[in-house]
Amino acid sequence: MKKHIALVLPLMLVLTLILGMQTSHAVETIKIGVLYPLTGGAAAEGRELRAGAELAAEIANTSIPEIKMDMAKRVGIASMGGAKIELIFKDHEGNPTLGADQAKKLIQDDKVIGIMGCYHSAVSKTVSAVCEEMGIPMINDSSTSPALTTRGFKWFWRTTPHDITFTQDLFEFLKGITEGKAMGVPAIPKAQIKTLAAACEKTEWGSQVSETIGILSKDYGFDLKKSILYAAKSPDLSSEVRSLKSAKPDIMLFASYASDAILMMKTLKAEKAGPKMIWGQDAGFEAPEFRSTLGDDVIGILTRTVFAPQVGQVKDVSGQVNFLYKKNMGRDLSGASARAFTGVQTWVEVLEKAGSTAPAAIQKAANTIMIPGDQLIVPWKGIRFAASGSDQGQNELGSGMIGQYQKNKAGEIVMEIVYPFDVATAKLIYPLKGF
Amino acid sequence: METLKNALDFSDFPRLDLTLAAAVAIFLMVFPFFPHSSFAMSTLIQFLMFSLYGMGWNTIGGYGGQVDLGKAQYLGIGAYTTAVMLLRWDTPFWISMPIGVMLSVTWSFIIGYPLFKLKGHYFAIATIATSLVLKDLFEVWDLVGGSRGIEILAGKYQTPDFLHLIFKGDDTYYYVILLFFFTGILFMNAFRKSRLGFQLRSIKDNEDIARSLGINVHWAKIKTYAIATAFVSAVGSFHACYVKNIEPEDTMSLDISILIALMAMLGGAGSLWGPIIGAAVLVPLKSYLKEWLGAQAGMVGIDLILYGAIIMIISAAEPRGIWGMVDKARRRKRS
Amino acid sequence: MEILAGSLSAGLLIGMVFALVALGLTIIFGVMDIVNFAHGEFLMLGMYTALLTAQATGVDPLLTIPFAGLVGFLLGVICYLGFVKYLIRGPMVAQLLGTFGLMLVLRNLALFLFGSEDRTIHEGLLVGQSFDLGMGIILPATKLAAAFLSVISFTAVWLLINRTRIGKALMATALNAQGARYMGIPTERMNAFAWGIGGATVTMAGALLVNFWSVTPYVGLLFTMIAFAIVALGGFGSIPGAFFAGLIVGLITELPGIWDFIAEMTGFDWMASVPMTSFKYTWVYLAYFLIMLIRPRGLFGWKH
Repeated sequence: MKKHIALVLPLMLVLTLILGMQTSHAVETIKIGVLYPLTGGAAAEGRELRAGAELAAEIANTSIPEIKMDMAKRVGIASMGGAKIELIFKDHEGNPTLGADQAKKLIQDDKVIGIMGCYHSAVSKTVSAVCEEMGIPMINDSSTSPALTTRGFKWFWRTTPHDITFTQDLFEFLKGITEGKAMGVPAIPKAQIKTLAAACEKTEWGSQVSETIGILSKDYGFDLKKSILYAAKSPDLSSEVRSLKSAKPDIMLFASYASDAILMMKTLKAEKAGPKMIWGQDAGFEAPEFRSTLGDDVIGILTRTVFAPQVGQVKDVSGQVNFLYKKNMGRDLSGASARAFTGVQTWVEVLEKAGSTAPAAIQKAANTIMIPGDQLIVPWKGIRFAASGSDQGQNELGSGMIGQYQKNKAGEIVMEIVYPFDVATAKLIYPLKGF
Repeated sequence: METLKNALDFSDFPRLDLTLAAAVAIFLMVFPFFPHSSFAMSTLIQFLMFSLYGMGWNTIGGYGGQVDLGKAQYLGIGAYTTAVMLLRWDTPFWISMPIGVMLSVTWSFIIGYPLFKLKGHYFAIATIATSLVLKDLFEVWDLVGGSRGIEILAGKYQTPDFLHLIFKGDDTYYYVILLFFFTGILFMNAFRKSRLGFQLRSIKDNEDIARSLGINVHWAKIKTYAIATAFVSAVGSFHACYVKNIEPEDTMSLDISILIALMAMLGGAGSLWGPIIGAAVLVPLKSYLKEWLGAQAGMVGIDLILYGAIIMIISAAEPRGIWGMVDKARRRKRS
Repeated sequence: MEILAGSLSAGLLIGMVFALVALGLTIIFGVMDIVNFAHGEFLMLGMYTALLTAQATGVDPLLTIPFAGLVGFLLGVICYLGFVKYLIRGPMVAQLLGTFGLMLVLRNLALFLFGSEDRTIHEGLLVGQSFDLGMGIILPATKLAAAFLSVISFTAVWLLINRTRIGKALMATALNAQGARYMGIPTERMNAFAWGIGGATVTMAGALLVNFWSVTPYVGLLFTMIAFAIVALGGFGSIPGAFFAGLIVGLITELPGIWDFIAEMTGFDWMASVPMTSFKYTWVYLAYFLIMLIRPRGLFGWKH
């Protein structure tokens, strides 16, 4: 027995040393876990998001003084000795349980100090629950379901405005049209655009949008004759479209991801649905394949958006960053990539303010930070998170826009801004043709 | 008392088997004390859960010979019952779980009565049909949150909460499911030696002869189906407390039903250890394959191709699964 | 009235295509008493074949149908000779789960090769065209062509089975394999042939379908279930049964439209709030269940 103990003790010592050594590394890079749908139906969006995030990390880690952004002037996180940001990407495929598992792995095995993501609101829901449980900060750059910030979570912050804000934009827009505020279009009597029909995908995001549309249409005095939920993965939407058509709506509203948005538009065209306006709650309607697959058919379609290249004409940083992005990716920043960029930028500024990677320090910094609007590429007034109240963790200074696909003078299809009315960049096309 | 004795009596297994089983049991009990990745822990928990699902399936699918591909619906009933009762009435797990089981069993009787008039593939397809119908219903039913599902917010409870089964971290969950696991094995041991177990085996061998012996075939099957349901439902309730987010697409999908049947069949349907072996092989295989091969630059799907290929090979070469192979090898050695 | 006409015509059209999807399953089942869970995956592969061939060669998608059929035939034969042959020796459990394994392999092979994003045919002679017959009946040209070709395929297969020697040999094997063997019919070859035809018809159905239905590696399962329901309704092993059952199932999937029509006629507002479109396929599953209980033989079945 004694012989064994003599062996065991030194063994245990060695073991503890080895295990101990693993945790006492100097902080060389600051690891942030990023969860996006890199495969699956929203894979193209995932790639956009990733590109936006990676660009922001690149700018943060190097000095590019031409860009009028604080983050571009520094190299790494100045308050932590110039430590660089390292983004660790994981794919959740749009599956909430997988997302949660990946989050656990990122936190426990990869030892990230924070999380960003996830695009799909259903995934952000489970991932944020994991973060909340483990006391790890999460910044949500791209999920817009309002329910995410009503849970009173203390470790969750959201930079993007949520769907209630966006849907309100829609109804303000419609109201403005009846008052003649839209550029290039005389006031349209409400009776002409009164009947609405909505089709939303049925997970967390879409069903919330559906609910919000229901409430706001009543508040603003519109007649929502039909509201259906459908499975984003459906291979065929003809009965849904026929159902919408039967309500004879003036305006059709959608909350769809990429593949279903494309399918929906194609089916609407085939069934000659004939609405006067089609509006999408971003997501699929802003996906690059939406434009490339449907080609000229997209002209006249409206979508909520958060970013359009035109913003670069009014805001220098937007133009400068968009230029860099276009050089790498061959196309302009979109609402998705712009928000991913902003998410990483927010992480950088929060870490800069916190001066440490300790969760408590990050939490304090996030709750008190104020990033002014001129630092951001998106046309928001800034970033400041509500530290308490019914929308805890929500950025109060964000705003949305409504864009419309139009053909510019060169014959290319671009997204023009039609709302807010005072920053509109083109005349509104009304009514919609070709459907 | 007789049942208890039956449950604890493993003497009809060879010494080697029992020693191995004991070793595995000890490993399982001390595992959390060794340094491990969170990934390994969650894989082990998955293994234990699927072993239990498989054991339940095994009663009707293995011993009973009727391939059931619709078990996921009971997972859903169990999980949702616990989740809804927790959220609305703060019901402790130990009450909501049995209630879930009762609801599941009731449902199983309702559809079981007509279901067991069918046999073979008709039966299998019918089980798929009922599972999908229930899933579709859950997707539009507001009480269970429709397609958004239900979320249990751990922050609202003082962890560790043994009453409601909410804990921080995986370790305590591990021991709870391990307890279920050992209980399940004892139950199955008693089952296979019970009257119902013997009835089932004779039905599987030759239904007509069984009937002529006076066995009420229809009822035996329905009762067994109910037992299988109870297993799945109980673990489903655990699932709700562990994962804390349940959606119909996630919890009641056809994929899960297939996985359950697959694991039991791979390991050896109709044997005690079969489902456990099946889960022990397939759960880590699936997790680790996905980890290594997953979204690595377009290697998507390789893990499931391997998975499917293994299943194809086993079903063509040795339909009695891994346990069948072991058994065959032993017999050959003996002769 | 418009809604009803639109739904009925859509249901019938799609029903004819569904029928073709189910045809292969009923033949294989009739001859060999084995249920192929990978049936939908064959369809999916047919869809991809047509899509990729059309894109690669620039040929109109409708012309790729024969090629898709050939691919399907080969696939069926290979699956039989390479795998299914060994399955039928084992218990039914093994058969079921074996074809499940095949389903997983095919589905994920497609995922690996083609990625998970949706694809459809964007260009072709008939894509995007439709005939407006008034009264709310809008017939997309691609669906019309698909239905037409489906009818032709059905007739061709029916003639093959009932009017040719090889077809009669197939029937003989189906009715009594032992007896057929004594008569000198090579049953092994018959089985392979059955799988070949089964594979060919379903891949051709896929080639038709992809003109208006998007394809991902996951579409297979839905069609497997639809095919099962049709075969059960029509009767396992009956070709005319599969056709009429297909029409009925097509109409079932249009129930939401019929529901809307009734809602409008009766003016019951509550009907509009029932999410019928979410139940499109639920009714199909229910139909299967009910048929199996009430009349397992199906409408025309001769085998149970």
